[in-house]
Amino acid sequence: MKPTKRPSISFSIFLLMALIPFVTFAQTEVSGTVLQKNGTPILGANVYLDGTYDGASTDANGKFSFTTEETGVQTLVISYVTYETFMMAADVSQLKDISITMKEDVNSLDTVVISAGTFEAGDNSKVSVLKPLDVVTTASALGDFVGALQTLPGTNTVAEDGRLFVRGGDAGETQIFIDGIRVFTPYTPTTNNIPTRGRYSPFLFDGITFSTGGYSAEYGQALSSVLLLNTIDEPDQEKTDIGAMSVGATLGNTQKWEKSSLSFNGSYINLAPYIAAFPDRNDWEKPFEGYAGETVFRRKFDKGLFKLYAAFDGTNFELTQEDIDLPEGLNFRLKNNNFYTNASYSGDLGERWKIQGGGSFTHSANEVGIMDSNIDNFENSVHLKVKLRKRFSNRFKLNFGAEQFLTNFDEDFENPFSQARYGFDNNITAAFTEADIIFSKKFAMKLGVRGEYSELFDDITVSPRASIAYKTGKSSQVSLAYGDFYQQPFNDILKFNQDLEPQKTQHYILNYQYSAKNRIFRAEAYRKEYKSLITYDTQDPFFSSNFANDGDGYAQGIDIFWRDNNSIKNVDYWVSYSYLDSERKFANYPERVQPPFANSHNLSVVAKWFISDWKSQIGFSHIYGSGRSYTNPNLPGFLQEQTRDYNSTSVNWAYLISQQKILYFSVNNVFGFNNINGYQYSSAPDANGTFNRRALLPAADQFFFVGFFMTISEDGTDNQLDNL
Amino acid sequence: MKKLLLITVAFLSISAFGQTKYEKGMTKAFDLWQNGQSWEAANLFERIAQAEADDWLPPFYVAQINIFNSFNEKDEEILTAQLKKAQDFLNDAKAISKDNPEILVAQAQLYTAWVAFDGQRFGMTYAPQIAQLYNDAYKLEPENPRVAFGKVDWDLGTAQFFGQDTAPFCKDMEAAVALYDAYEPKGQFHPRGGDDYAKQRLAQVCKKE
Repeated sequence: MKPTKRPSISFSIFLLMALIPFVTFAQTEVSGTVLQKNGTPILGANVYLDGTYDGASTDANGKFSFTTEETGVQTLVISYVTYETFMMAADVSQLKDISITMKEDVNSLDTVVISAGTFEAGDNSKVSVLKPLDVVTTASALGDFVGALQTLPGTNTVAEDGRLFVRGGDAGETQIFIDGIRVFTPYTPTTNNIPTRGRYSPFLFDGITFSTGGYSAEYGQALSSVLLLNTIDEPDQEKTDIGAMSVGATLGNTQKWEKSSLSFNGSYINLAPYIAAFPDRNDWEKPFEGYAGETVFRRKFDKGLFKLYAAFDGTNFELTQEDIDLPEGLNFRLKNNNFYTNASYSGDLGERWKIQGGGSFTHSANEVGIMDSNIDNFENSVHLKVKLRKRFSNRFKLNFGAEQFLTNFDEDFENPFSQARYGFDNNITAAFTEADIIFSKKFAMKLGVRGEYSELFDDITVSPRASIAYKTGKSSQVSLAYGDFYQQPFNDILKFNQDLEPQKTQHYILNYQYSAKNRIFRAEAYRKEYKSLITYDTQDPFFSSNFANDGDGYAQGIDIFWRDNNSIKNVDYWVSYSYLDSERKFANYPERVQPPFANSHNLSVVAKWFISDWKSQIGFSHIYGSGRSYTNPNLPGFLQEQTRDYNSTSVNWAYLISQQKILYFSVNNVFGFNNINGYQYSSAPDANGTFNRRALLPAADQFFFVGFFMTISEDGTDNQLDNL
Repeated sequence: MKKLLLITVAFLSISAFGQTKYEKGMTKAFDLWQNGQSWEAANLFERIAQAEADDWLPPFYVAQINIFNSFNEKDEEILTAQLKKAQDFLNDAKAISKDNPEILVAQAQLYTAWVAFDGQRFGMTYAPQIAQLYNDAYKLEPENPRVAFGKVDWDLGTAQFFGQDTAPFCKDMEAAVALYDAYEPKGQFHPRGGDDYAKQRLAQVCKKE
């Protein structure tokens, strides 16, 4: 401080200087004890007055003490990891010898999670059963995410179909959502006895939730199951991926800018060379050819994220398949073009409000030819959805939203004798609300309700959903779930008749889960009641069929899952077993019987072994399914016989040539088990009065795959191991 | 004029007092940290962070202590809580200081803590992100020894994992370690450490025959 000759200024400064120490010396002591709920002291908690430097850490007895120059009402803050931050406004003079009990942070890892019915796949989800990488390194899956999910309990082995059949439900009873928005045509179309694949490439997704029952009120129009796929929020780096495979080629590129990024991925598959080398049981006039392009654009805003996903794919093939009634075989031709786009926004509205909204548009066009009949159809579908979420506290959260589905389906049928044009518009309006209530780290509840209005049927349905979870030990918990689920009849029915009602199921689920040290054990028992299933009185649905909602049925069983990533070094394995008891009357069934897609026992064993010295990962999987029902017209009854059991062992080997070059081999059904998916009987008996039959065999018993994958990125560390 | 001088002097003294308080707080926090009381230090940094809303250093150090203390943590619950806290404070620091190479390096270290905890589970997700973070930081400030060393250390570790020759990285690592001598911290409390670990690591992986 500069001295000055002016007495008045000196005096002022003197006064100022005199005042400051005076203020400084007016100190108040703040002290107290910080405890856990059970009275144990907390060591190392940070105690301070908000907005000041004044504070201290608690000692081993939970005690703290510090002095402050602040006066009047101040906010005392206590923070400690795994506990909820404590805040209290009081006059500083009152903050003496206080005792504070801190609440556990229910967002922390060991809080109970509602797990009934749900499998999570993700890196950071609390209990993840599958990792994103598993989708593509499971030997039997051949890079198809649906194939990987088929190794989880609750799914049935329907090898010739390729879609997800869950707990006695038909494949159409599972709905797939990308970023919360429905996918109307998730599978590549195919024909009898040739399994389909999911349309979407697995590595655009970083979160997969597969629910085999009892799911949230946010999702409707699914009787059995939902599969939720989330696209990656932000790609890691700019790169180019190149793949050359025995069946085609792939190319991908990702570009990043400051706030946005764009990924593109294209593939071309042509089975002609493979079929020429390894002819299968079909007679291919035009071997399978498919091309697909996908793109994701992401843009970050200050308080939100916008994503635009678009995918186009085309399929083209023609073949002649063996048929018991047609000595020359059954000729089948298919051309499909499918376009799907999905835009979503998720953002923060402040005051603990969050918004999520978006929409999707699907255009699917098929040109199908079966012998001399031509069937052309197209579907245009739209889904619009908005959801709001308010977090009142860590212990109470509320979700609500509304959505609209619009589907327009038209089909032209033509053969030398007749011609017809038919179709339908199916619009559904839905609203849902759901509350998450976390009573404590041990006990949580989810309650929801969903209402749907179908314009087509002029019908309103209301579905309650509820689940509770209770932690029984440090690593174990029990959950219960109940829900009502409605779904419109599928397109193949609705195109002929719209004077129907939604079909209904009720789920009851009891789940036990143990997870510790990279080991997970789950056991789940369930009962599912089917009501108002669609019935008709012809072999296949047709114009002249009499349709009704007269069907019903049940499914009950036990699913068991064990995954261990800890006991054997560098080995990760899981085992799934499902027992299913299901009977239903639907379609053209005369009575309740076990449908062919609901076999009783299913078992999958998957193992992966990483061998550092060989720079290799070796994978193994075995799938077993007990026999499936079929009708033998030579005997009385319906679906009264069973095929022999299904077995398939697959192996794969991924070899890292260098960090960015991978060589990949896989063989499906390496032991060449002769699997039979069912039988086709002749439509008329022969001279002896016997119906002759033909076994429905897979197109090929084995499948070989060789691929070379290379990644080019700036820093040279990324590779496509996660694409395999 | 009198008044102006008075006001200036008054402001000077007030700001001098404010500065002193900050300096005192920061100095004390560093002392605690050096004396092995890292959690006490983290608590003090946290208190300074919430009082000084425009300074990226206090939240940065809260994050860094939580990250460093996570490297040997075996309990997943504690690790998750610490790294979540570190991430929150790192986000605060990022909001105050954009494109800051020190913060990018801390983010890379945070992800490395996950990879170190369970490589099989987190390696595939975080490895490319870590590499990208070091690249971005290197573009901003190639002469920063923590950036240069962190980048080469990560690349060397990756090469080690894939069984490749690590010798080509040793030259870069030596160069990165040499940067510590020339480096001038940007301010009294700006990051300056890391050279001891860097030298130790260089001696360990790049032994001269």
